[in-house]
This record gives sequence, C-alpha cells and structure tokens, in this order.
Amino acid sequence: MAKELTIVGKRHPKIDGGERVSGKAEYASDITLPGMLYGKILRSPHPHAKIIKIDAEKAKALPGVKAVLTAKDIADFPWYQTPGRSHHDMPLLVDIARFTGDDVAVVAAVDEDTAQEALDLIQVGYQILPFVLDPEEALKPAAPKIHPKGNLAGEKPAVLNRGNIEKGFQEADLIYEGRYTTPMLQHVTAEPRVCVARWNRGKLTVWDSLAYTFAPQATLAHIFKIPMSKVRIICDFMGGSFGDKNMTERYTVLASILSMKTGQPVRIEFDREESFLATTHRYPMVCYLKYGAKKDGTLTAIQAKVIADMGAYRHLAGASGIMETMKCVYRCPNLKAEGYDVYTNKPEGGFMRCVGHPQGQVAQEIHMDIMAEKLGIDPVAFRLKNHARLEDGDQDTKAPFSSNGMEECIRKGAEAFGWTQRWQKPGASQGPIKKGLGMAIHSCRHGAMVLPSTGTVKLNSDGTVNLFVGTVDIGASQKSTMAMIAAEELGVPLDAVSVTSADTEMTLDSGSSGGSKQTIGSGTAVKLAAADAKTQLLEIAAREFKTGKENLVIKSGSIYPSGSDKGMKIADVLKKAPATITGRGTAALPKGVVTYCFAAHFIEVEVDTLTGKVRLLKLVAAHDVGKAINLLGAENQVDGGAIQGMGFGLTEDQITDKATGICVNPNLVDYKLLTMKDIPEIQPLFIEPIDPVGPFGAKGLGEPPYSVPAPAIANAIYNAIGVRFTDLPLNIRSILEGRSTGSKA
Amino acid sequence: MDEQEKKPKEDKGQGMALPNISRRNFLKGMGTTAIATSITLSPLSLPSIADAAPPPAVRETWIQLTVNDKTHRLKVKSHWTLQDVLRKQLGLTGTKKFCDRGSCGACTVMMDGKAVYACSRLAVEADKRKILTIEGLLQGGKLHPIQEAFLEHDGLQCGFCTSGQIMSVKAILDKNPRPTREEIMEGLSGNLCRCSAYPKILKSAMAAAKRG
Repeated sequence: MAKELTIVGKRHPKIDGGERVSGKAEYASDITLPGMLYGKILRSPHPHAKIIKIDAEKAKALPGVKAVLTAKDIADFPWYQTPGRSHHDMPLLVDIARFTGDDVAVVAAVDEDTAQEALDLIQVGYQILPFVLDPEEALKPAAPKIHPKGNLAGEKPAVLNRGNIEKGFQEADLIYEGRYTTPMLQHVTAEPRVCVARWNRGKLTVWDSLAYTFAPQATLAHIFKIPMSKVRIICDFMGGSFGDKNMTERYTVLASILSMKTGQPVRIEFDREESFLATTHRYPMVCYLKYGAKKDGTLTAIQAKVIADMGAYRHLAGASGIMETMKCVYRCPNLKAEGYDVYTNKPEGGFMRCVGHPQGQVAQEIHMDIMAEKLGIDPVAFRLKNHARLEDGDQDTKAPFSSNGMEECIRKGAEAFGWTQRWQKPGASQGPIKKGLGMAIHSCRHGAMVLPSTGTVKLNSDGTVNLFVGTVDIGASQKSTMAMIAAEELGVPLDAVSVTSADTEMTLDSGSSGGSKQTIGSGTAVKLAAADAKTQLLEIAAREFKTGKENLVIKSGSIYPSGSDKGMKIADVLKKAPATITGRGTAALPKGVVTYCFAAHFIEVEVDTLTGKVRLLKLVAAHDVGKAINLLGAENQVDGGAIQGMGFGLTEDQITDKATGICVNPNLVDYKLLTMKDIPEIQPLFIEPIDPVGPFGAKGLGEPPYSVPAPAIANAIYNAIGVRFTDLPLNIRSILEGRSTGSKA
Repeated sequence: MDEQEKKPKEDKGQGMALPNISRRNFLKGMGTTAIATSITLSPLSLPSIADAAPPPAVRETWIQLTVNDKTHRLKVKSHWTLQDVLRKQLGLTGTKKFCDRGSCGACTVMMDGKAVYACSRLAVEADKRKILTIEGLLQGGKLHPIQEAFLEHDGLQCGFCTSGQIMSVKAILDKNPRPTREEIMEGLSGNLCRCSAYPKILKSAMAAAKRG
C-alpha cells in the first residue's frame, strides 16, 4: 500500500516564482562583471562564399578594441571533435561561409557600440560560390558541394527495416502514397544565446544560458587542455530553451578564447536577428509515405522516405528523429524507412522541442487521416485499431513499454471532446465560415530515463534541506519538480527545500534538460538521494525512540513512532547526528522495458473561406504522464507545448529567399508567433497509469504536447472545407491557394 | 542618426563582395528590419569608458530620470534607449530585452502612467519623466497583488517575458480596474510569451483584477 502523497500530485506555485515575478531572477543576460568586454561576431552576408582576404587592421586599431579573431588566428582548430558539442563539422570561424550568417570573425571591445564599429571595419573579400537551398536539389549530382564529401551528410542514408515490406503491400486492400513538407522553424527563446566567460588565473568560469552546463565544461576543458576542475559553468535562471542552447556552441568557445586572450571577462549576446540567422532550427522536412492497410483498417505496411534539410553543418539530430514516429506510434509488422540528412546553404538544423517528431507526425497523422477516410473508418477508430500496445513496445528490440496510456488518451479525449456526437463528414459545414473537427495521436521516447541522473541532499541542523542537482531549470519548473520530489520523500514541507541547480562546481551531472527526461531521470535520482538521507535520519531517531527505524514515520518535518502523536522535530533529531547528513542518489536505466509518452489531441477549428483565416476554437489534449508531479506545472507544459505546436501548424515559417539565400523574416514582426488572442480554450487531460520506472510513477511531459496539434489542425481544416493540405504552415495564403486549387488527396 | 548610414560605401571589387558590409546595413538592405527605427538598431554600451570615443554623429547629454520614485541624473548617448539605461546604467535588469525592436513587449515599463516599450523610447525622450519598472512594484520587498496573482496561478514559465506581462496588466488595471476577459486579452496581445503560458497568464490577470 503506497503512502498517501501530500505534495506530489498537487498544485504548487514555482518555488522560485517570487524571484521570477519580481524581476529579481538573475539570468545569464543580466550578468555584468567589472572590466567586462563585449564580443560580437561578424557574419557572412552570403549563403556560400570563399573568404579570400580578411583585413582586420583597421578594426584592431580602433580605440577600445581589445581583440579581433579570424579563422587564421585559430586555424585547424577541431573543436567539434570534442565532447559535449552538438555538431560534427562546424569550424569555429570559417574560411568558407556555408550559410548567410556563418561566423567569419569575432571582436572584443569595451562596449557594444565599439564592438559593432569594429565589425564594420573588418574588410572581407568573398569569392561568391553557387549555393543550394532545396534539399532535394542538393542531393542531385550537379548541385554545389557544401562539404568535400558531398551533400548527403554521413554519405549514406539511415535505414530501418522490419518484416517484409513487399509482403505487407501484397496483404493490403488499400495502398496510399503521399508527400508532406514542413518549413524551417525557430525556437525564439525569449533570452537569446548569451554568455559571460571569465578566465582568471587558470580558471575559466562561464555564465551561460544553457540547458546543459556539463557539456561546455567537458568541451572547454578538452579544447584548452585544462582540468575539468578548473572549468565552471553556471546557469541559475534560463529564459527558455526548446532545444536550442542545449550543448556547447561556438559563441561560448569564442567568448572563452577572447577572455583568455584579453584577460578580461567577455560577454557575447546574440541580438534577435542573429537568433534567427545563426542558431539551430527545426529542420525542414520532405517526406514520402506509402502505407498499406486491410479493409478492416489493420496496417500491413509502413514505407517512408525522409529528407531532412539540415543546413550547412551536421548536427546530432536529423532524419532519424523524424523516422522514429513511423517506427513507434503504430503497430505494424512490415516497415521500411530511409532517412537522408542533407546539407544546404542555410543555418544548421538542430534539436527543437520533440526533435524530429513534430515533422514526422505532420506527415504520418495527415496520411492516417486520409487513409481512414478512404477506408470508410472513423479517424478515432482507425487510431484505436492500430496504435502500438503495451506489449508491442519497441517493435524492433521487442522490449515492451513500461506503461502505455494511449488507448485511455484516445478514449477519454474523444469523450471529453464529444467526438462521436459532433463529428461530421468532411465538408458538411454550411456557409462561408465553416467549422471542422480533427484529431491526431502521438507517442515517443521523450520522457524516458536517460543517464546520467544524479542528485544530492544535505540536511541542515535546523531541519531545512539543500538539494543539489545538475538539472537546468529552462523554464519548465524543473527546480520545483525536484524540490517537490525531495520534500515528499523526506516528509518535510516544500518550503523547507532549497534547490541549487546546474552549477558544475556545486552539483553532479544530471544530463541535459532536453528530451523531457529530467522528471523521470533526475527525479528518480533526487528521490533516491532523499531516501538515502531519510534512512540516516531515521537511524538516529530510532536510537532516540528506542525502536526500529521501520517503525518510524516522518510527517510535516517531525518524526513519530507509528501510531503515536508524540514526535520529535527533525531539527532536534539532527542535533544528535555526529555529522551533517547527506544523501546521494543515482538513477539506473530500467531493464527490459522502454518508457514512452502518449498523447491524443482533438481540435475544433473555424475556417473563413473568404479570408482564409483559421480560428482555433477548442483543444482537448490528453496526455499519459505516468503521474503528474505538479498539476499546475503540468497544465502549463501542455498549454505551452500545444500552443507552440499550433504556431507550427498555422503561422511559423522562417523564409529563405530563393534568389539570394538570405533569410527575409528574422524578426518577430514577420516571423509570426501566436499571441494570447490566437489561442483556443485548452483542456488538458492527464492520464496516469503510474509508470513503474519513474519517481512516484511519473514520466516526462515537456515535448509531446508540441507534436500533436499541427496535424490535428490540418485534419480539422480538411474536415471543415474539404480541402486537404500537406504542406505547412497553413497560413492565410495557403488556405486561399488551396481553396482555389482544390484537394490534393 | 545612425552612424552606419553615414559612412562612405567602399567600392567593391569584381566577383568579390564588399569589404565593408556590416551586418546591420546588409540586413537593412534586405528590408528585414521592418519596424525598427534606425536608432534602436544601435545596441548600447556601458558609459564613460575612457578609451572608447563616441563616433562623431553620437552626442552625449544629461537627462533627469525618476525611476521607481528615485531621481537620477544620467549622462546618456543620444541613441541609447530607455531599456539600455534601465538595464545597464541603473542595473534594473528586471526589464528584459527579448526582441529589442518593439514587437514583443518584454521590456514594457510605465512612463508617466502609460505602458511603453522601453526598447522603443530613446533615453533622451524619457528626460524629466517618471518611470515605473517591475522592481518598483515591490513594496518593502513584498510582492504587488499582480505579482502575487502571477505566482499563485503559475502565470509564467521561464519568466523572461513576465516583467512585461505584469507591467501591461498594471497598465490595464490602472485604467480599467474591472476589465472583461476580452479586454485583458486585447491589452496583453502586445506581450509575446514564447513558452506560451497564455492561459495561465490570462488567469493570473483575471485574478489580479478581482483582487484590486
């Protein structure tokens, strides 16, 4: 019989919310140090150009300029072969610019005006090279080569095979093929890429807006050949990540080099344009699907060809992320998928919320919707028929899921939405403003345990608790989640727990705050650390009460023998401790199971067929979270992820001009984010199967809400107006053009 | 005003592009800074560093600024924004820089009782004006009821846009203590939240309206 939970599963404001709402929270972008210099990066104005001459003498001579670096100052510097970085082949500063915005030179000066002026004084001679932007064009033999070995990164496609694809198609009564595309998307973190690096007598300290501080600790120590003990990275508050600012990037290394060169602290902060031009993005996708199904709706074959437009440099992410959705969401004995990571003359693709899956789900969930209609089966029933079951798990390794709430997500979501009563055949809505309903499901490995995950707790003599964990609170309440888990396990009030996070000198490596893994991973570690400390505490209390520690309970900061109301305050017990009690926890990977998150979204839209405007009316978002640790924070994650996913569906599109290779909308006016007025009523539903792996049954939640709304919206628009859209975004122009050209399906 | 415009453009060699392309001019050339003024294109710097002579087009002047009931006499450059003076000269970093182009609302402060984007006002425009920032809402370290409401209803995620959201709610409620849901949505539609905590921001604002 599990103990009744007093903190976990309830609604708690953020433990550091007071600092955030009062403007007192200190982000990396708020750090200034005495003598600090301002670094700025000179960026290529061309999508593809060889640098044949750089003259930085005038810049160096400008009063206030302390350092200027170009590629030749750091020649053959293979920083990307070091641990903790996200790219395979990206030079720090280039001698061939491979995208508009590529890093050409960097300066450090006493203020930003001077740094900017110095950039303007650097004379660069470019030899313009032909460029290619379209990934399918880039794969053709005549395309301009972006890297010496050609434009297929890794030189061969990623391949997945299961069963016999030909047999699968032979068994099918319906075979359907489609082509789907998604555009380039930006993270648009409110806080840009920013760091302050200080080299001081053999020690390098960097305040960085970064979801994984231990990555640059490893990278910088390796690059500069200094002990890791002399590299300290700190990220206390962070203004959003969504996958960017996740590993070591060029700006952190450049700021460190500049600080070493000048002996002064150096800050590099991207402006908003740079944040569009020269950071990672959600890589555009071209996807060809061919699925087979029997008359009764059973899927017999899944075939996919995925082309991921990875931009100028090879990132750890790529087409294989997109292919994961074809591999895991539906049960199917026959699968064949090929993924191509393609270089183009655009900024580098990278991690963005639910890496690859939102793109893959746009293709797959629209494809499934089309097939449901062709088979004459309700879209909900078609998903219920085919979704991967608990026992299916990873259909290639045969490891079952640790828990699976998909069926409940679909059924409860549909019920809350009133799907059965309200769904009508496509095009049934009358008048110029038409309503439609759509749905999509999603599952993925995000939210599973990934190592390392470690935590430490210290019990202070007054009964309060310091919790140390390597997790970065990127804005998703990670500090609060960890504090709640520790407080619940220790039996102390939540306000007794203080969290120190993500400081490489104070905490242990808990992995990146990406992959939705902190709740399950570091949460497990923190729970174990708290349990370790609790055991030591109870051993001392057991001596005081002259009983076995198994007969003791901790409630609200006091320890009681079972059944007694005469307790001892933890602080008084701690006075008897010979030394400060510390507890340590390290999570281990579960054996024989895989942990996945599951979701089903149902959305109602209204399409004005005269103006092309799509209005979102209502979203029901059902999520299997294992167990919601903090209901307030969990709702916030579903809201935020789903709204970003709606922007992916409707408005967001980073556009590169075909004639010049230049991004034409690197600002928040022309790159359209949704505002408060654009969003529908959102009803989150939490399905809690209590996962056996995670702390108190919890799984992750941050990413899955992003992956579901866009295809659900596309399906709802089809349901409203009878026109099938397969290329995102579904902005006003797409709707009007689609209306005039008619359905593709 | 923008010194970049005034520089003579260098002649470009054939087949080679411009030795003197600044990123800024190049972006402007592409028409990508749609709503920015030429002035806010120049980011700011710490003042009075001896060896950094201001470019000829930049002038320095003294302004008087009353921020959160404290009056300051400040020497500012003519192209500096209110946002930069608050953050860099006065150390009031609660006012955040998100877009720096008047399109996100994260730097919203109140100037003479009206909500303004601090990135879109020159420091010299704020001369002799009264400014209220997020830090000024605290009374003896105690949270303002609007801040309390945001905390209680989790009307934030990363918190980077939160100061601006709260200052906008303050401006809405000062003008209209009993706003409708639609009026709040209209009033906050100029404040972007990339974490998209909008439902809870709205809830926080509604709760603050009830408390006020």
